Amino acid sequence: MKKLITTALVGLLPVAAGATAVEQAPWAPRSAAYRLTLFMGNLTPVPWEKIKNSWTAPAPGSALSEDAMSRVTPAEASAISAALAAQDRQALFEAATAVVAQGILRHLEAAEAALGQPNAAHEVAKAEALFRAFEDGIKAADAKAARDLGRAWLVLNSSLGTAGVLGHGAQETDAERFAAAHATLETYLTENYLPAAYAEREKLTPVPESAVRSGTPVTLPATLPPGSNIADQRELPRLVLQFEEAGEDEANLPLVAYGDMLFDSPEIFGAPARELGIACSTCHNRSDVNRDFFIPGLSKYAGGMDVDGSFFNPMFNDRADDHLDTPSMRGIRFTAPYGRDGREPSLRRFIRNVIVTEFAGEEPTPFQLDALEAYVKQFDFLPNPKIDRAGRLTDLASDAAKRGEELFNTEFTGLGDRSCASCHTPERNFRDGLTYDIGTAEPPFPGGTPIHFETPTLRNINFTAPYLHDGSLPTLASVVDWFDASKNLGLDEAQRADLTAYLEAVGDGEEPYQAFEGRDSVFRLSWEELTTFASTLDTLLPMRDAQNIALLVDTVAPDLAADASVMVNQNSKPEIYKFAAILRAVGDASAAGDWDEAGLQWSQFKAMQAEIDERMY
Amino acid sequence: MLSRRNFLAVSAAILAAPALAAGEELKLAFIPQENPEKLLGDVRAITGWLSERMGMTVTGFVTFDHAAAVEALRNGDADISFMGALPYVLAEDQIGAVPLLSEVYRGQPSYAGRVFVRKDSGIETLADLKGRDIAFADPVSESGYLYPLDLFVREGLIADAADADNFFGRKFFAGGYQQAMQAMANGLVDAAGASQYADLLLTPDQQAEVKVLAESEQIPSHAVVARPGLDQGVQARFVETMLQLNEPGNRHLLAYLYGPDGYIAADRDVYEGVRETARRYGYLK
Repeated sequence: MKKLITTALVGLLPVAAGATAVEQAPWAPRSAAYRLTLFMGNLTPVPWEKIKNSWTAPAPGSALSEDAMSRVTPAEASAISAALAAQDRQALFEAATAVVAQGILRHLEAAEAALGQPNAAHEVAKAEALFRAFEDGIKAADAKAARDLGRAWLVLNSSLGTAGVLGHGAQETDAERFAAAHATLETYLTENYLPAAYAEREKLTPVPESAVRSGTPVTLPATLPPGSNIADQRELPRLVLQFEEAGEDEANLPLVAYGDMLFDSPEIFGAPARELGIACSTCHNRSDVNRDFFIPGLSKYAGGMDVDGSFFNPMFNDRADDHLDTPSMRGIRFTAPYGRDGREPSLRRFIRNVIVTEFAGEEPTPFQLDALEAYVKQFDFLPNPKIDRAGRLTDLASDAAKRGEELFNTEFTGLGDRSCASCHTPERNFRDGLTYDIGTAEPPFPGGTPIHFETPTLRNINFTAPYLHDGSLPTLASVVDWFDASKNLGLDEAQRADLTAYLEAVGDGEEPYQAFEGRDSVFRLSWEELTTFASTLDTLLPMRDAQNIALLVDTVAPDLAADASVMVNQNSKPEIYKFAAILRAVGDASAAGDWDEAGLQWSQFKAMQAEIDERMY
Repeated sequence: MLSRRNFLAVSAAILAAPALAAGEELKLAFIPQENPEKLLGDVRAITGWLSERMGMTVTGFVTFDHAAAVEALRNGDADISFMGALPYVLAEDQIGAVPLLSEVYRGQPSYAGRVFVRKDSGIETLADLKGRDIAFADPVSESGYLYPLDLFVREGLIADAADADNFFGRKFFAGGYQQAMQAMANGLVDAAGASQYADLLLTPDQQAEVKVLAESEQIPSHAVVARPGLDQGVQARFVETMLQLNEPGNRHLLAYLYGPDGYIAADRDVYEGVRETARRYGYLK
């Protein structure tokens, strides 16, 4: 499974390398504002107001709830403000770059002045925290400079000296070495981040000026800005698969297992989603939603984003900042049509739309679409004993909910003499398969037709806040209030509370989150999933299907290795790396057409799986 | 009916009551780790919770370093401080500091120091590091310096700490576990001496690229230490309250306290190994 890594902190790196998402360590306020400026400055159209907020309010992903502008000099502040006011992208890039570079130099000067005192170490730490903003740009453009500067930071930290504790462990200050390392950094930063004139930037990046001017192509790994969170939801939703609850093993259903793998695979998407390790499951954690998902500039609220912006697929950019709340996929086979606006009648077409249009992937093969469809059709709702098969409340529901049920079925003038249940039809999983304009979207132009949205199911909605297509209402109670006010339902406070209680009863579900304890660890879940994905090789190898084997290996082998970092049993980590390497060997042999070798490696993989299984937690 | 835990908490409150004159407060010192400024926010969160639970004003401040924390305990600027095992045994020896709690990581109140190298470095033994560069975390760190260094001494590769500069090409103090590990993973140095869990500070991809060359004996985990003379009732109430952090509803607060899995009451005897190591390196007489 993807993106389980939610606890590791990668302090000095701007973002995780590879395909498994890691939560970013918080950024220094000025670094956060700078990186947000780069990211948002590359969006089309540029969201100027959001960039301004990154400087004038505590930025998302910032280590401190302090705005970056409070940490700059008056001259720096005026350069940033002028560029923002003029909406001048190049000027803003230059001013923001100078803020970070001059900030580093000021902290280093303060450290040198304080050498021999404890404060010197803090000044170096602050300088290093700012330097992180440039680090990946230097590394991508100039490996030698990255090494020289990395060593300079080591020298700075090592030559600070310390008085030790009660005189023990004392180290002498080495002012000469400090000054030399300081000079190395100062020279590089002045030349590359504080040049007399900056080259015009087509794309805003932290690549050093010398590399930009030389014209040498630089491959900068895709990154997300500070405050992004694409790791799994901390409370991992429970997955209810119909066949599994009925006692069948996924390994006996290779098409479903392959679809499960594709659902977790960034390989089916194009850049930058693929590079960032984004898969279907990133937003749809275990068939439900990832309410923690957030990308500044793209998301208005956690749990969704503008899926047709310029970042993931410029071709699909509608140039409108229209955040969409991620819908749950629980019971998706029962909830056609698809898309918040119900534009796709078939699940197959909608899956293709996500892969190709939203995330710039290659056209999926019919087999891949079959597999994904077969898998997602197994998603069921969480069982809810508070409702029966016809969607009526059972005796387990509260009295308030039962009073709410009556209101839910009452016709209101404000609803066109219909009831809530007319559209959220209880016996149809609380939806009707139709689209409506209920007043949640504005027309695109005066007199134009606003987008209609499909009636969403109410099952299991207790776990999918916020609500409405744009995530603008935070609670079920606020949804009731919204309908009451906008449709003139005339409900009093008690009635609104009853209606909310009804929604909460209908929206409930048993064991909504995966429980982890002891050996039932996050890694164990990942291990079971990934080895199930691999089991499709029993089907693919005899078919000599090199293309799908390659996709499987490219997804599963790196994931096995990456997920080792969350093992409880860290002692067995080296075994996982070896195990992943065997799977890689299956892929290599298959790609080379050496099917005997591929079969041999696959046998070894299965033998090792059986041998190490007990230690995998 | 009162549970035993509740009973103890109430008892502690009653016992401590006479010592709580109006305006009296409990002052905590925090050692900075990665980001001292961020720690300030964490300190506010945890002292707020402690104040509420202990029924007395609990304040906190971030010290420059271990030395300042020990000094604060000595001169009464702090009543209680969070610190590593090595600073604790030094503080105990010099000023009579009292251990109250030990951190628990991954189910254990102890951990080890390790020497890490990159898998592609060709380095197979500690002896292979002769003439090569190494980054340690900090000179006053047990797992990030003294214990990994001791592995070289025990192998007979170096005589003592002072001899390290003759063995290694360059020896750096990177400023923390993470910086030491990143320096190694990025190829700036050949090896890193850091905590057993320091590889978890690397990206998952980097983690797959490094290996453990050697591991030290177990080191008692970081401690929470009181100044000598701190009211016994306050000590007991503090310990009782801190142990409540182990309860499921409070565990999220551990993130504000260096992120351990929990705490156990401290046992000063388990630090004997640290005292012995500190004596061998001349930190203790």
